[in-house]
This record gives sequence, structure tokens and C-alpha cells, in this order.
Amino acid sequence: MNGIIEERKQSIVLKTGTENSGITCDQNSVSGSVSQRACVYSGARVVLNPITDAFHIVHGPIGCASYTWDIRGSLTSGDDIFRTSFSTDLREKDVIFGGEKKLEAAIEEVVAKHQPKLIFVYATCIVGVIGDDVEAVCKRISNKYAMHVIPVKSPGFSGNKATGYKMACNAIMQLLQDYKNQPLQRGINILGDFNLAGEMWIIKSYMKEMGIPVISTFTGDSSYEKLIKAPSAQLNIVQCAGSSMYLANRMYEEFGIPFIKVSFFGVEDTTESLIKIADALKDEEAKQKITDYCTEQTTRVEEIIAKYRKNLEGKKAAVYVGGGFKAISLIHQFTALGMKTVVVGTQTGKKDEYEVIEKIVDKGTVILDDANPAELERYMVETGADILVGGVKERPLAYKLGIAFCDHNHERKHPLAGFDGVLNFVEEINSSINHPVWDFIKSEVSSYE
Amino acid sequence: MSKTKIEPLVHLNSNPCKMCMPLGSVTAFYGIRKSISILHGSQGCSTYIRRHMATHYNEPIDIASSSLTEEGTVFGGEKNLMIGLKNIIEVYHPEIIGVSTTCLAETIGEDVPAMIEKFYHAYPEYKEIEIIPVNSPGYGGTQFEGYYRALNSILANIKMDTTPNEYINVILPPMSPEDVRMIKETFEAFEIPAILFPDISDNLDREYSKDYEKLPAHGTSIEEIKRMAGARMTIELGMSFLKNSPGRYLSDVYQVQYLPLHLPVGIRDTDIFYELLSKLSGRPIPAKLKKLRGRYADSMIDAHKYNSDGRAVVFGEPDFVFSTIRLCAENGVMPVVVATGSVVPELKEAIEKEIKALADRFMIRAYDIVDDVDFKTIEALAVKHHANLMIGNSDGRRIEEELHIPLVRRGFPIHDRVGGQRLKSVLYDGSLTFMEEIANAVLSRKEVDFRDKLYNKYFKQEEESLLEKTKKETVIRTVYVPVDRKKMEEKTNTHPCYNGCASESARIHLPVAPKCNIQCNYCVRKFDCPNESRPGVTSHVLSPEEAFARYKLAKEKVKNLNVVGIAGPGDTLANFESTRKTLELIREYDPDVTFCLSTNGLRLPEYAQDLIALGVTHVTVTMNAVDIRIGAKIIQYVKYNGMLFEGESAAAILLSNQLAGLRILTAAGIICKVNIVTLKGINDQHIPEIVKTAKEIGCYMTNIMPFIQVKGSIFENLEATSAQDLAELRKECSPVMKQMTHCKQCRADAVGTLNDDRFKEFDYSEAACESVYNG
Repeated sequence: MNGIIEERKQSIVLKTGTENSGITCDQNSVSGSVSQRACVYSGARVVLNPITDAFHIVHGPIGCASYTWDIRGSLTSGDDIFRTSFSTDLREKDVIFGGEKKLEAAIEEVVAKHQPKLIFVYATCIVGVIGDDVEAVCKRISNKYAMHVIPVKSPGFSGNKATGYKMACNAIMQLLQDYKNQPLQRGINILGDFNLAGEMWIIKSYMKEMGIPVISTFTGDSSYEKLIKAPSAQLNIVQCAGSSMYLANRMYEEFGIPFIKVSFFGVEDTTESLIKIADALKDEEAKQKITDYCTEQTTRVEEIIAKYRKNLEGKKAAVYVGGGFKAISLIHQFTALGMKTVVVGTQTGKKDEYEVIEKIVDKGTVILDDANPAELERYMVETGADILVGGVKERPLAYKLGIAFCDHNHERKHPLAGFDGVLNFVEEINSSINHPVWDFIKSEVSSYE
Repeated sequence: MSKTKIEPLVHLNSNPCKMCMPLGSVTAFYGIRKSISILHGSQGCSTYIRRHMATHYNEPIDIASSSLTEEGTVFGGEKNLMIGLKNIIEVYHPEIIGVSTTCLAETIGEDVPAMIEKFYHAYPEYKEIEIIPVNSPGYGGTQFEGYYRALNSILANIKMDTTPNEYINVILPPMSPEDVRMIKETFEAFEIPAILFPDISDNLDREYSKDYEKLPAHGTSIEEIKRMAGARMTIELGMSFLKNSPGRYLSDVYQVQYLPLHLPVGIRDTDIFYELLSKLSGRPIPAKLKKLRGRYADSMIDAHKYNSDGRAVVFGEPDFVFSTIRLCAENGVMPVVVATGSVVPELKEAIEKEIKALADRFMIRAYDIVDDVDFKTIEALAVKHHANLMIGNSDGRRIEEELHIPLVRRGFPIHDRVGGQRLKSVLYDGSLTFMEEIANAVLSRKEVDFRDKLYNKYFKQEEESLLEKTKKETVIRTVYVPVDRKKMEEKTNTHPCYNGCASESARIHLPVAPKCNIQCNYCVRKFDCPNESRPGVTSHVLSPEEAFARYKLAKEKVKNLNVVGIAGPGDTLANFESTRKTLELIREYDPDVTFCLSTNGLRLPEYAQDLIALGVTHVTVTMNAVDIRIGAKIIQYVKYNGMLFEGESAAAILLSNQLAGLRILTAAGIICKVNIVTLKGINDQHIPEIVKTAKEIGCYMTNIMPFIQVKGSIFENLEATSAQDLAELRKECSPVMKQMTHCKQCRADAVGTLNDDRFKEFDYSEAACESVYNG
């Protein structure tokens, strides 16, 4: 494999047969390999940031806050404090003398001005190194004002993005500890949806359709008051497994809340997930209602998809997303459109997820973990991909290669989940793949030859 | 749930107006041919910066990371950096690598130059590759400083060639690739050999081509950089706010002539730029450029009035802010808030003169120039100074969303629009585009806002004043009708009420107005008892025709019948059509008779002009209070515009109309009298005030009357005024204005002289006690 870094070779596999290749994943990124991953802090921030009425204070130099400010398109039906970026903006002298005092003054100021119920303090790379005891500061202020100031241990170097997810989940668990003894209520918690473009609202509308109350959401469109009710739920459903399985596990172990994995990407996954929820709650009435609802929706959506299918059949897709579970959903969706997935990669996919991926893709598909742009370029070109599904960092690369693009990351402004999401997805795929621009730019280049 | 309003905080940066040093450093390296950057630190920094740059430039941005882990942080990151360098060389084959440190590397005290030395030792095959260390801790400054640190570091680390050459170094501040390209093409057009440092024009704004090269193939080459030490001179564009600018370094170390120059944004600085290039090249400024200048000048004139409405917030990197302020100043766009996130106290001094001069011209008192600020502070200042325009990068969009102030997007980053890499600001052409965008932003807001704005400002006040109107006075158009003063005097002299009964003048009251539109607490306008004589009483209501007939009869029977009065029994103006008709009939028959009329004044402003036209010369208004609190005690209600008003609003409506009506009449020379019913304990103390008001608005006299108890009225038990009290009141008021002392408080159907009412002779009614009106 020319142009491929030696240490990366075990993280790239080509599906040849039915046997499991045993891809190397869940490792630290290789130095010098232009990884698409962010850091521990980033992982923690994306999970917690959608909590709408929390103050998210980044303790560190400005960059960490600057690049993540309002980065997710999480929507709110309530407060929008989460859209303001707060940073202690550490400077040279703070690095020398320590930033603890600055942090304490900052939290005191926020408390005095806003009487918040919940503050998260993200510890970034250097705060541990310069000796700030963030935990102690948080504890002191929490006790002083009888409120929740929760430290998020997220120095960038302390692992990868997935470590950050875990740290966010730990922060949530720290909050919930105080509320764990609540009487059981009828209803569920939704984990791992961040209300990008209102997707949480779509999922909640399905729950309403089934007559199942939603007690708490993690963390899309959530608020302090709702979060603390979570321990009373009957069941947790986990959409983004990568970020929230750990939380689901801990809530099962510590509060006894069982969980199921769900996905609302694609008609099949959505339908299956909704029925699974009714089954898990042993609610026959809800099951009947949602089965009818899904049948009706499926008919509606498939009629429309059938029209697009003609345009998309046989096209090739490359997928490079954050987690494995989402990649699996995308492969299913492309299959449903008559398309082939020729490249699949994730930033933080787990071993079991890669096993599923290998099973469901066709022979000749390239599977990569923690890919870099050089690898994406090479395999997209080699496999002749027509479209890349990824995040905005990858978009210009796809365009430079003359490949269509679908943003499946934070910054999109239309929902891709649920039945409506399926339609948005197919529309987006079609409008990029079948856009007239490709006819012109390709013909122009060839006319110069 | 309501949204929490976040004000600026002292101890926290709320919404940063800056990025960090490594971003600036990487940007600078994107202007160097075949270069790539690696950040020595944890993985996130490079990913964030890649995303931040990729969405602005719409270009693939490849930045490696040494991906420091826990182990590297504790034991040093040398191993990570060495592997990183090797890997990046194998994938990208660069000629130059920028190793920029991050917060983490600097904090743990990494010695990057030493590591680079070790790397050359370990991999002698890579000795030809320039590996440049840049100290760029995120906490040490913003991307602005990081950018210059990289440039300085490149110059300090590359072995320079001091052989004199014909090149001119052109040091560029952070700017868009399009602007860099325009500067570059200008040097080419003047055929001046120039080394642009750095030159991001082709690497961060690449054309689409079939062959994608992942390594930036354009920009300043290492050869060119080496030659910079022997160049003819260095032109450093921008403000060189930093003490250690690349231009100064080249001058200090290699004695290259140093010429700092403003960025050619706006007409002045572009003029200077072209003049310099013309001198350096020995070529005249081409005619084409002169035409461009003319066109820009023309556009400045076209837009100047819109621009002068602009109250701008200008924010971003120091050089961007500086050049934008100069463009604004030339175009009369007032910068009310000037802000940068960098620590550059020099900025204020550098631009304040421009801003102040403009402020003085436009009489604008306040503006703020601030450095080291966040967006929450900028937002608060924008509100404080009523900004209607923002100029800066797309991070201002949250303020745009919040305050609906249009944002002209320039600078870095532009994340919510396409084409950030091709935004133009320099030379005549770029200035024109930039300036017109600013003017259009002002216009776009104005075009959308002005209807609502004017509506809210003016219409609403009028609406509110509907209630206000009742408290203040109605302003009504007054028409001056010339009055024959002599005739007026004569009529007054022969009017029994006005002449103090000096002559045997007689009058007739024609009861044509049954309805009343107010209810006074002392009045019951019922019936008639022929033996009772007081206002509001009549034996029979007449139609205009009947009234006319009665007049003709009376004229024959009564000597000196000079005056026709209409005094109810209700209010003359509440029955205006009957009043009008009656007066018209009589006037046709008798052109000389004096018309006199009494009213409560509620509808006087409405009919005053009609009364004047009908030839009414004497009007009496009963006005018992000029204070609405007292008035409210006297009247029960007012019916006005189809609505029933009570209490103070009723009193306020009545009073304002009385005063407005009287003003119209007195202005037209009509003789006006104000009747006041003395109500003990209610308005008796207030009467002098009423008299004073009557005088002020030009009335002829006031008639302070005693109160007559009427059974069935609200005031039926109110004590009657004694003759002595009345006399004293009149005496007190007589210095202020003429007092009527001979009033008989006549009936509405009185006939004859005041002392001899002969109304019974003219009453045709059979049922003497007939109810005419029931409120």
C-alpha cells in the first residue's frame, strides 16, 4: 500500500470474503497522520453542550472555546445559554501562576449574576499540567451555593474523542447521583440524540404517537430540571451508541434502568427501533399504534423514494462518520436506495461495529478506522465513489476530487432522522450526485486534454 | 422557558472574538510552496483548525498532529514528533514543514528546535527539507500574532542569500487569497519583480482541476525566501502593530530598506500604493487604473448619503480593522464600535484621529475603540451606540441574529456564506465592492425597516394620544373669519345678557334641542312646570319650523326682540341639525337679529366653524371646572363618539373640547361667555381658576351662577349657594374679567326681557308637564 503510513496499515481492510479481518480500531491516532478526529475535550463538549440551560465554561486558553463555540446545530425549545461560549481565556501569566483563582472568580461571577442551576467546567490540556485543581474549585462552589458545578475531565491528550464521550457521561452521572432515589415512572429516556436540526423533536413525536412519555433526553434540547428526573425512567433508548453506550451502561448498573440500542436513520431502522421500544416496554397497545403508523409512513416515504431510486441505482457511496452505529445505518440506507457503499470509515467505531459493517458490505469495499485525507482520497478515487457522506472538514476534499457530498455532521440544518429525515437524505444525495455541475466541470477538463 | 440574557462578564470571555496562535501560524505556512504544518500537541488542535479553515477557504486543509498522549505529556513528546515528521514526509513529500507548538507543548516545555536537530540526525535523507519551529502557544496571543511568528521564524531559520537582487519583498498581513492575488497581479502589471510573503492566493483558493495534489504547490518558494535578504526593499503592508515584524527583521539583520505601507483599502491608500509602484517601476499609472479610480470615486458619491446613515461596528484582526476604518472614514460610515480580540493597545491611537474627525463632522458624540474584547462586550457596545451595521467575520452572526443588525462579511472566518476566500477589499476595485456592500447593508435594513420604524415612532404616539387627547386639548384647524367689529359691538350692546339689562332688549329662547350628551349631577331635564324657571326646562320641544313660527309671532308681539337664543332644553350641539335649520329659517327672514347659543361645549370644536358661518355671534359655554378631578365630581357621564365615558376620562374629554371650541370661537371674534354653576364644596374654591382660564382663552365674560337644587338629581341634597357667597365670588373675580350679575337662569323657552318672561303666551302645548327627554 503505497503512500500509506506503516502504522496505519492494520486499520485499513478490504472486504474479500466472509471471514472477519480483525481491523485495528479504538487506538490512539498515529502521529503525523492528519487524523480526522478531535480530542477528549471535543468529545466531552459535543455530548454535553446541547444541555440548554447549563453554563459551559471552558477552563483553558481561548482556542478550545473558539473552535467549538456553538458548533453543533442543536436546537432548543427553552433557554439558549448553551449557545454562548464561556472561557477563562488563560494567558501567559496564568500558565505561570496558575488559573485556579481566575476560574473561581469566573464561576462566582456567573453565580452572582445568573444563579445557574448547573455549570460544567471543562478542564483542557494544560490545566492539569499547570496544577489547577478544577475538581476542588467545583466542589467548593457547589457546596457554598448548594448547586451543581461539575468538572469535566477532558485534557485533550488524555485519550481520544471517545474518551471525551466517557468523561461527559461521567459528568452527567455525577449530576444524577443526587437524584437516583426516585419512584419509577412510566416513560423512557432518550440517549445519544443531540437535537441536530430538531431530530429529538421528531423522535419525541413518535413517542407521542405511541403514547409513551419521554422523561428525559440526553442531551438534545434538555434542561437541568428534566435531566434530574432521568433516574425514574423505565427504559433508556440509545441512538448514538458511540457517545452514549457508556452512560446507558452506568445508568443500568447504578439505577437499574435497562436499555436498548436504536437508530432512527432510515425507514427500516426507524421502524424496527420503534417496535423494539414497544416490545421492551411490553406495551401491546403502543406496538399496534406504532406498527400502523410506521406502515402508513413507510408507504408515504417509499412512494417518494421509488422515484429517486431510478436516479441513484448503482451509484457508489463513501461513508466517513464519527461512530460505527451511524455508519451501519447509512449502509442500510444506501442499500435501500439501490446504491453500493464502497468506502466505509469511522473516527471512533468499535470492534463489534466493524464486524457488522464487514458483514453487510459487498466484496471490494474498503473499511478504514481513523482515516486520514490521503487515504480517503486514494480509496474514493480507486473505488470510483460518487458521493462522500462525512463532516465539513472532508467536504472540500470531495469537491476537489469532483465527488458529491452529504454533510452528516453537526452543522447541517435539516433533519436526517426519522421518516422525514429519510426524505431529506435521499433528496440531498440526489441533488448533489445528480447535480448539473458535474457534467460541466468534467467536460471542461476533458476538453483541455 | 424564557431565554437568559447574558451580559458581558469580567472574569470570563463570552463568545471569543479571536482564535489562537497555531491557526495563524498554519495560515502563514499555507502561503509557502510545498509546505505542510504539524502541530506539536494533542490531536484536537489540528482538527479544529482544519475545520475552521476548511469551512472558510472551502479548500481541503491538511494539518498533521504529533497526537500527544498522556505518556508524551508526562515524559515528553519527542518520540511523537519524530514519528509525526517521518509519517508526514512519507505521505506528503513536502519541501518545508512548519512545526507549530500548542499550549500543551509549550506548557510541558518542549524543546522543538532540539527535536528537529535530532530528527535530521536520525533521518539524514530528509536533511534537505526545511523544518521550521514556531513558538505558538494558544495562550500567548491570537492567530494574528501566530501568523507573524511563523513568518519571522521562517526568515530566521532558513539560510538566507544576501546577494543583492532586483526583487522587492512584499510582506502581507492576514488577508483573503483574492486580495493577495490582486496585489500580486498589480506588481506583475507594473513589471516589478516581487516576492510576496506569504502568498496564499493559489493554495487557499485553488482552481478545480482533474488532478488533485494534496500538497500546496504554489506560494512563496524557499528560493524566493532566501532571496529576501538581498532584496531592493521590503514593502510591509498593514500596520505592523507588532514590534518584531518580518520587514523590521530583514532591515535589522540584512539591512534591507524597510517601507511600511497601509493596506491599499480605500481611495487614499490605494492612490499611495499605485504612486509608489509607479515610482519604483518608472512607469506611469495606466489609463485603465485611472478609469477604475474614477469609477470608484463615482460610486463613492452615489453611495455617500446612504453611507452617512451607517453606524458601524468594525471587528476582527488589527490590520483588517485598521484598513476598514480608513475605508469607512472616507465614505462617511461612522464606526461607533471598533473592536479587536487581540491585545493591541496601539490600535486606538492609530485610528482615533480618523474616527474623531468623522464624528465631529456628523455631530456624533460617542464611540468606543477597544482591544482584547469578546463578542458579548461588542454586542453590549453595539446596543449602547445604536449600531445599524457590522463589518467583520462571520462570528458576528450571533449578534446579527440577536440584534438584527446586518453583517457585512469580511475577514476570517466566514463560515456561513460561500466564497470567504474570494472576498475583495483592496485596490479601487476591491474597495468599490466592499464599500457598496456596506452601503447596501445600510439600505437593506432601511428599506425593510423604515415603514415600521416611522409607524412605530409617529403613529403609535398618536394612537396613545387618543386617551391623551382627552387630557390635553384637541388641536383643530382654526379659520379666521373677519368679523365686523362695529356690528359686533352693537349686537353686544343690545343683548340683554351682555349689556347688563341697560336697555329694554328682549330675547326669545327657542327650545329645539331636546337631547343632551352629558349628564350633569345637578340637572334633570324633564318636564316643565310652567311656574318653574331654570335652564333645562321647557314646556314643549319645537321643530325648526314651529320655532320659526314662534319667532315670527314673538317678533310681532314683543318690543325690542333683538336676540334669538337656543339654550336647550338639552344641548344645542347635540341636536345640531335642528339648531342649524332653525337659525337658517330665521336668518332668511330676519337678517339682523342676533343669534345667541348656549352649549356644554362637548361638540364645540366640531361645529364651531358652522356656528360662525350661520352668523352666531354670542356663545355661552357652561364650564364648571378646568380641572378634570373636579370635573369628574360634577358630571356623571359623557357620550362621545358613540361611547360612554365616566369619571375623569369623561371630564377630560369635556374640558378639552370646551377649551378647544372656545379658542376657535374667540379667535374668530365671537363673543363668548362662560357660565359656571357654583357647587358648594365641589367647585366653589376652583371658580377663580375657571375665570382665569376663560380670560386666557379670550372670553368676554363669565357668569357665576347660583346652584338650584333639583329634585331627582344627584345633587338634590347639595346645599344651595347663598347670595352672599355668590357676590363675594363675583367680586373676587371681577378684576380678572367682566362678570355677569343679572342672570336670571332662564328657561329654554323664555321670551321677553329678562325681568318679564312671557313664555306662557307662546306655549302651544296642552300637556304642560311633558317629559321631553330621559337622559
